[in-house]
Amino acid sequence: MKELRMILKKEFIHIFRDTITLALVLAMPIALVLLFGFTISTDIRNAKISVLDQSKDTQSKTLVNQLSASGYFQVVSYPHNELEIDDDFKNKGIKLAIIIPPNFEENLSKEGNATLQVINDVSDLNVASILNNYVRAVVQRYTADYNDNSSRGSAFDITVKMLYNPESNSVYMFVPGIITLIMVLVTALLSSITLAREKETGTMRMLLITPVKKIYIIVGKVIPYMIISFISTIAILVISVTVFKMPINGSLLMLLFLCIIFMLTAASFGMLISSISRTQVDAMMITMMGLFLPTVLLSGFLFPLNSMPMVFQVLANIFPAKWFILAIKDVMIKGSGFFDIWLYLLILFVMAVVFIIFSLSRLDKRN
Amino acid sequence: MFSIEANQLTKQFGTFTAVDHISFQVNEGEIFGFLGANGAGKTTAIKMMSGLLLPTSGTAMIAGFDIRTQSKLIKRNIGYMSQKFSLYGDLTVFENMQLFGTIYKIPRKELKDRIMNSLRELDMEKQADTLVDSIPLGWKQKLAFATAILHRPKIVFLDEPTSGVDPIVRREFWKLIYLAASKGVTILVTTHYMDEAEYCNRISIMSEGQIKLIGTPDELKKKMEVNTINDVFVKFVKR
Amino acid sequence: MSVSAISIKGVNKTYEGKIEALKDINLDVEEGEVFGLVGPDGAGKSTLFNILTTLLLPDSGQIKVFLMDAVRDYKSIRQIIGYLPGTFSLYPDLSVQENLDFFAVMYKSDIEENMSLIEPIWKQISPFKDRKAGKLSGGMKQKLALCCALIHRPSILFLDEPTTGVDPVSRKEFWDILKSIRQQNITVVVSTPYMDEATRCDRIALIQDGRIIGINPPQTFINNFKGKLYTFKSENIFSLLKVMEQCPLNCNYYPYGEHCHVAFYEDMQEALPKFEAFLQEHHQTYETITPIDPSVEDCFIEIVTHSN
Repeated sequence: MKELRMILKKEFIHIFRDTITLALVLAMPIALVLLFGFTISTDIRNAKISVLDQSKDTQSKTLVNQLSASGYFQVVSYPHNELEIDDDFKNKGIKLAIIIPPNFEENLSKEGNATLQVINDVSDLNVASILNNYVRAVVQRYTADYNDNSSRGSAFDITVKMLYNPESNSVYMFVPGIITLIMVLVTALLSSITLAREKETGTMRMLLITPVKKIYIIVGKVIPYMIISFISTIAILVISVTVFKMPINGSLLMLLFLCIIFMLTAASFGMLISSISRTQVDAMMITMMGLFLPTVLLSGFLFPLNSMPMVFQVLANIFPAKWFILAIKDVMIKGSGFFDIWLYLLILFVMAVVFIIFSLSRLDKRN
Repeated sequence: MFSIEANQLTKQFGTFTAVDHISFQVNEGEIFGFLGANGAGKTTAIKMMSGLLLPTSGTAMIAGFDIRTQSKLIKRNIGYMSQKFSLYGDLTVFENMQLFGTIYKIPRKELKDRIMNSLRELDMEKQADTLVDSIPLGWKQKLAFATAILHRPKIVFLDEPTSGVDPIVRREFWKLIYLAASKGVTILVTTHYMDEAEYCNRISIMSEGQIKLIGTPDELKKKMEVNTINDVFVKFVKR
Repeated sequence: MSVSAISIKGVNKTYEGKIEALKDINLDVEEGEVFGLVGPDGAGKSTLFNILTTLLLPDSGQIKVFLMDAVRDYKSIRQIIGYLPGTFSLYPDLSVQENLDFFAVMYKSDIEENMSLIEPIWKQISPFKDRKAGKLSGGMKQKLALCCALIHRPSILFLDEPTTGVDPVSRKEFWDILKSIRQQNITVVVSTPYMDEATRCDRIALIQDGRIIGINPPQTFINNFKGKLYTFKSENIFSLLKVMEQCPLNCNYYPYGEHCHVAFYEDMQEALPKFEAFLQEHHQTYETITPIDPSVEDCFIEIVTHSN
């Protein structure tokens, strides 16, 4: 164990003496969050919407009031039929229309559920997806209030039915997305580069020739970068919550645990990459092509997966990022707990183990 | 006229004097060994002489051009070869020579003739289309030298040209150097290997930025009362 | 009888199915000797070093390091060897002290315990112990690397071209250090492309194109020199080189520093006057032709020329 501690000490010396990289690594995530956050949040306050209220009962009015009171929406029109909604999109510049079906209150109290229809302006998918999630959030709160106040005590659901973009992403999709990118960049890229550097400069030979256990060499590379990226992740979360009022619906501990598992997977992927590359440049290129691009393109972060050709949907499964994004979305937005996402955790963990075993076998291959 | 004429050439980096008022002359067609311990100032001196670095004071005339004002003309009239960087391994022998020939603006038609001539001299005509990576080290060194003199420079700087090459190939390499020198090309060689130094017509030994000894190998050996240049060096630095 | 520190039998190594790096290598290194692997770059020295230090597997053949098999028992071998690679392979951003501490822990060794071994070298670099290793001069780097390679008191020390690119004074110092290491009963295996360093070894193996072309103490090589070696100084070496191509005598001619060496394979009573007549006939000006003892370099040239 003394050896592992020494290796860790050495890695931290590398990290702290390279102040430029360190500053970059710590500042970049914050810059990214602020950049994404502000460009997205500017036009989602007071978005113009129309409400076609076919019930006009107490509950439907309460819901509409809550929508306007949320600050996200400004109800500019109450059309009488769906044709008028079209006009509102064309003439009044609304971003979204909500249709409350007839007998809303009655359905809620008798059947315990009701369906809302949401119609989006598809010209701006990003805004549409953000607004959809605001609607979800308001409706969720409304449902919770209703259930609390309900003397009957029977819970009920409102299903929000999205038109045009039924599988919309979260408004806060960018936060899990950035967390993913940062973790991939910091843990996978940096750890693979430093290991490749040791190969390039010959220090790896010096290490291999000592009796030190190979697993210490790998673990010694993985842990420091996990810690750094953990710090970055915390910074991203703090900014998201304080500056952008992002809700974390699930347990914070669960979220952090999930992040740690993913960091492990990313760092192991970094080890895998450096085990097949000879130089730092190789490691960087392979990380970019083999990990960074798939993370951006195939994780469902920027581009919805299910609108992609089948090949890519299948391909996405082999990249850790997809599973992490699924899991983090569930935790942050749906508030899922361990038993909802255990499969994703397991997949990520198994990937990490496989990567580490593979890199161990390549580290000292002697031929 | 001397081929290289340094006059009180000095370079300071901050308070550190890398090259300290060196003056020496090298004749046309002379093979001049430029020796010194690591950090003695050889590299800085060569950088100044090849027009890459301006001196703090003093001057030097290289092939008749002033290093302060005519560095472009100097670059056109010198060749450079080092063991560390010489040729691109992923280009063929011909492509390498073509590349460097083109950089020195040798007209295309003439370039081809010169390359073929030079390969004939090296007895490497058959290897023209071989990748440089796949030819033996000794041949690479000979090829690198041939490439460095393709544009017919007046002076060639050789930076540890043959360290690690086997004794037989090394002698073939020196044969090329003698051939070039016999055509009037001035050769300035740096090396840590004193047997290489003994091939030179004259040598200088630098220490702490100054040229402390200069002369023919025989003169220096007599002066220091030893049998080899290696002993000259060791005895000199020990003092 | 002393134990063989290293015993190599019939080792072959081919890279990626093409380049034959080592061909049928057989050699023994005795305990406590300074063994030199002498040959030009690309001859296979580094490949052999990688195999001996267990970083590379041979295609065939058997290697024993203190009776341990280099293929099977590589972990035990790594405990008892020290290795100084040809290029600077310590952490440049760690200080001198940090590098030494690091490798001491990696070898599960105690610096205090082995200080006596490295002290003469450590004394020279300890004034700079807080300086980053990357900022040291070449000679200092070399000494630090040597300390790191010796910190676990290895039984065998491998040095891969330790003097390449090092000035003559530092080289001399380095060889003196190797002598003192040997006195500590550490077997030293050192490679060098420089023939003049061969005489510093107890025994040397000359290696060329992946083959060992001779193993002997340096003096034995010199005693075994077949030709009669003469030296003389010529006014114009280049013109002499050209003329020599037509020399009718059975001899091998090559420049040697500012002199010329000729190894004759003739009866000298007749050959020498003939040779002088030949030179005069071709208008060569030269100084007295005197017999000289061959160097290892002369031996290398003779062996390679004769095997061709």
